[in-house]
Amino acid sequence: MRSRRVTALMVALAVIGMLRILWLHFVSEPRNEPRRAPIDVRYAALRAVVSSGEAGYVSDLPAAVHLGEDAATLGTRMYLHVQFAVAPVVLRYDDARAPLVIVNLHDPSRLPDLMDQRSLELVAQIAAGLAVARPR
Amino acid sequence: MSILALLLSGAGLVAAGMRDRASNGIERGFRAALAIALGTGAWAASYAAWGMAFGTPGAAKDVVLALAGATALAAFRHRVPAPAPAQGREPAPRWLYALFASACAVAAAAFVEHTVRFPDGGWDAWMIWNLRARFLARAADLHSAFSPAMAFLAHQDYPWLLPGAVAQAFSTFGESRMVPAAIAALFGALAVAVVTLGVARAHGARWGLLGGLAVVTLPCFATFASNQQSDVPLAVYFAIAAALMTSARSRIELALAGFSAGLGMWTKNEGVLYAACLGIAWIWRTRDLRGALAFAAGALPCAALLAWFKLGLAPPNDLAEFSTRATILENALDWRRWAELLVLTARRVVYFQDFGFWVLAGVLLLWFLRKRPFSVLGTALFLACAAYGPIYALQPHRLDWIFRTSADRILTQLWPVAVLATMPALARTTART
Repeated sequence: MRSRRVTALMVALAVIGMLRILWLHFVSEPRNEPRRAPIDVRYAALRAVVSSGEAGYVSDLPAAVHLGEDAATLGTRMYLHVQFAVAPVVLRYDDARAPLVIVNLHDPSRLPDLMDQRSLELVAQIAAGLAVARPR
Repeated sequence: MSILALLLSGAGLVAAGMRDRASNGIERGFRAALAIALGTGAWAASYAAWGMAFGTPGAAKDVVLALAGATALAAFRHRVPAPAPAQGREPAPRWLYALFASACAVAAAAFVEHTVRFPDGGWDAWMIWNLRARFLARAADLHSAFSPAMAFLAHQDYPWLLPGAVAQAFSTFGESRMVPAAIAALFGALAVAVVTLGVARAHGARWGLLGGLAVVTLPCFATFASNQQSDVPLAVYFAIAAALMTSARSRIELALAGFSAGLGMWTKNEGVLYAACLGIAWIWRTRDLRGALAFAAGALPCAALLAWFKLGLAPPNDLAEFSTRATILENALDWRRWAELLVLTARRVVYFQDFGFWVLAGVLLLWFLRKRPFSVLGTALFLACAAYGPIYALQPHRLDWIFRTSADRILTQLWPVAVLATMPALARTTART
């Protein structure tokens, strides 16, 4: 008898779990969570210009590289997306003196200012707000 | 050749570790799941060992692995007869099979939906695991994958069983997003299979299916499986080690359990903790030192591989790098940090979004069964949970942030073993009434 009760209880928990899974994946997420574009769509073309070794990385948004910094920011995501796309190139964060520097901007209109501030000259424009540069 | 090496090495390991003949379909299914999981792990671990010793592995590595597996299969083909099946194994009603199949279909649909919505996997997949796989598959020099010049969030010190498997599959099938997704699906299916069949072989199909339901309907399970991270693979190796330990009839089976725990160590840093907890719990509950030695001997190859990697290639772990004696002492003496940890943990127990009511039910059951002596697995889980207290409290990051980003994945790693630990107690309790 108790075996049946335990079975019924576990089945009830399982049905609740299934309903929660169905709600999250087929009702809530389609409404609230936009489908992500693959990371390579924006960044894969970088590999033709920066294919090996190390490269610098600069951006208009900061990434979390020290203890206590928020790792979930857009700037961190942008840096890590580029690292994922260009592997096996090792990205040196905020290094504008490397032979090649990837410039990745949230606001593409800031490209001339940032190139000027960091003494960089354009090597290749990959997409809006995404460029490869080198030190002047 | 890669797939042959994977299957033969897995089958060889199971043949060497489980010398009796499989007595029924459930046992054959359990051993097949073990062979695939252990073969995948051996295939990935040998890739790492070969890479660190000789450079980029070619076909020779897989030939050696396949030959070793075939030799073990040939050497242990004469099986001893299986012992009589355990008494009191309950069959399952048909409707329970139907419910289990429905639950698996729901989880599979959720897996597909989540994979389509997040084509590069969860955040940690592209930040750590598939990033490392790309380095391994694309770079001529192994060292660049672990370069300290990258930001610490790439966690270059993490062991690389999953990246090793994905990198090899990239080399075989091409660098498609389907590759890590397929490997994630394999480990998700193995987690459900190991628990379902592991419980069913000891207590019958009813309890096996209920155990499988507890895993596959945990709301965050399908999400974590599709995230292409190492949590579900670690759960698989921890669960195999746990299942083998509780049913071991010989020291060689304990060595196989140790090998699986070792693969867990090579999957994620937490695997070291879980292997240690299993070993300590075994000694604590059985006083069988020789059995513990057999377990440790099984874990030794991957423990040595991990030590080789940590001492030779890996940069320091961020928890160690950012900690000083002063911060550790300060955190240890900060009672608010411990209180915050208690509150965060209590709130997580009732976190319906990720756990439904499963974890709450587990805690209530623990209260109900509190006067019973802990089993080996119960003790191992208790030790692991107890260890996470000081780990959380003393680590250098903000407590709420690190708890929020890690508690669910730790639960996912532990949950299959929690189910393996719970089902025998439930089966025994109900059998007496």
